[in-house]
Amino acid sequence: MNPLSAAKPFAGKSVAYPRRAPLAAFALIYTIVSGGPFLWVAMMSLRTTPEIFASPYALPSSIHWEKFVDAWTKSNYGTYFWNSTIVVVTAVALLTIIGAMVAHCLARYRFRGNRVVRFIVLSGLILPPQLMILSLFQILLEYRLYNTLTGLIIVYVAGHLAITVYILEGFFAQIPQDLFDAARLDGYSDLEIFWRITLPIGVPALFTTVTLNFIILWNEFLYAVVLLTEDDKRTLPLGIMHFMGNHQLDVGMVATGLMIAIGPVILLYAFFSETMIKGMTAGAVR
Amino acid sequence: MAIVAMTRLNKLYDGGGEPAVTDLSLTVTDGEFMVLLGPSGCGKSSVLRMIAGLEPITSGEVAIDGKIVNEVPAKDRDIAMVFQSYALYPHMDVFNNLAFGLRRRGVAKAEIERRVQGAASKLGLLPFLKRKPHALSGGQRQRVALGRAIVREPKVFLFDEPLSNLDAALRVSTRNELIRQQRELGITAIYVTHDQIEAMTMGHRICIMNKGEVIQIGKPLEVYRNPANIFVARFLGNPPMNLIPTSIQAEGGGWQLRVGGASLPADCWPSEALSRLGSQALLGIRPEDLYETASPPGDRRLVAMARAGVIAVEPLGAETLIVLSLEGVAEEVIARAGRETRLRPGDNAAIELDLAAAHLFDPTTGQVVPRIHDEREARWAKAE
Repeated sequence: MNPLSAAKPFAGKSVAYPRRAPLAAFALIYTIVSGGPFLWVAMMSLRTTPEIFASPYALPSSIHWEKFVDAWTKSNYGTYFWNSTIVVVTAVALLTIIGAMVAHCLARYRFRGNRVVRFIVLSGLILPPQLMILSLFQILLEYRLYNTLTGLIIVYVAGHLAITVYILEGFFAQIPQDLFDAARLDGYSDLEIFWRITLPIGVPALFTTVTLNFIILWNEFLYAVVLLTEDDKRTLPLGIMHFMGNHQLDVGMVATGLMIAIGPVILLYAFFSETMIKGMTAGAVR
Repeated sequence: MAIVAMTRLNKLYDGGGEPAVTDLSLTVTDGEFMVLLGPSGCGKSSVLRMIAGLEPITSGEVAIDGKIVNEVPAKDRDIAMVFQSYALYPHMDVFNNLAFGLRRRGVAKAEIERRVQGAASKLGLLPFLKRKPHALSGGQRQRVALGRAIVREPKVFLFDEPLSNLDAALRVSTRNELIRQQRELGITAIYVTHDQIEAMTMGHRICIMNKGEVIQIGKPLEVYRNPANIFVARFLGNPPMNLIPTSIQAEGGGWQLRVGGASLPADCWPSEALSRLGSQALLGIRPEDLYETASPPGDRRLVAMARAGVIAVEPLGAETLIVLSLEGVAEEVIARAGRETRLRPGDNAAIELDLAAAHLFDPTTGQVVPRIHDEREARWAKAE
């Protein structure tokens, strides 16, 4: 081997290391700050409330896995989890399909009123949820959707359509018009082009919106607490509140509930975070 | 195979402004390779898109095999198009890109397989059938785009600057491949380009466009040798045709062109046309029709002499371009000389002008003045 080329990696490392040290320090501090609370809650979820009160930051002396079973069976967490799953999966599916169709139309077709439609759809981005909650409450009451999972699904879809369309339209607009023209000459209708060209090419952006919407809606509290009152309709974030009474706080069960609640989010993020980042940064067609 | 006829075609895009296409009438015959040539924004792509049905027609008619197709959707026109960007579906492999259009048309699976394999074999794509477009080189993508058009076995091929994204070497080989495929299949083709070399080498005929209008239609060499106006004279040819300001004078019962200090016979143009022209004209002469020392072929009566200073010498390898300043003429003139030329900047040279190949243009209208001498044309025709 050429002695010069053999020396290169060593030289490279010695130069790069000091430069990367601040970055590594920042990454370490950031990981501690963001991961610390998670680890703390994870440890508390395996300890009983008296143990936690005795020593809040101690490691578990004995691991209480049975708390997860208790939360699931005795504290109605199974119902809350199932309710959250129904609401969020349905809302995300509807958001993805409707949002993609709207984004495809806005990105692809020049029609009269195109700008007005875009403004109306995207104006949802600037309206704070607190502003709309009373009107939504009234509307759901009138349509007998108050205190129903269907009502919450509709509210979630309406509330998150703007951000979904915003992300997807930006991506779809980058798909070259030639692809659509080629598909038209190949004999495909507008709807077929949407299904066979726009959606498959838009998969990275779709993953982004699915992941984002899933995480946000899975943790959504404000609409759920106002629009759902019955215990068997509650979603997970409301279920956790169940353990936070006015006069007592079952910290151990709250922590266990939190771990159950964030499990799917962590799984989703672990599997799709890379695809999500790609969707936000990559061009439509390479 | 089909005849494509356009009659008084107009295109005005939303938002007003200048029309993209104005009163275009053109008939492309069965099996013909027609090239639409013009600068960017001249409307040639708009014409192609109107033929394809991708763009609504403002007025006029497009007919394929005698049937007006203005209202026929793109998918029902039986046209295949190759795009500048290739427009390959990025989520499909090469096989599926080729088969996509056939599946929609309900072609049987076995037939799809046969056609795709046939086209892939013809275009050297067999090893790449399972690859996605991003894993192909530019030339391979171009061939997939061509293959996608071929498997459809359409009535008409449309090409929208399909070679402009390729490097120079690949462009030459792909150009020849395109010509070979079109001649073999005999399918009517309309090809849009702003590259005059593509137009000259590929087309049976060229339609030169500018600002939405057809300027001249003809066989490539015919258009090159006999430009209809100044635009064609300057647009075709690299370097373009020299346009030298000339004054016209009646002398001794005949007409003379005065180019700076030199006096040239104007015997090639009819007296009536010269008298109509007034005193000023532009003499158009291509760089290859200016001779340094060797005499041009043909009629010596049509060769004129002028003195010129050499401003620059540009050796290109196969040939040398000489930038000249004719005596008394402000505009620089370019001559194409052999690679052995001994001229150097600062030299003073006697330049011969082959007036048999020269053209006279009306400086007001830009139109060519028809000639009466056509010996050279006759010689070319004989050679062809």
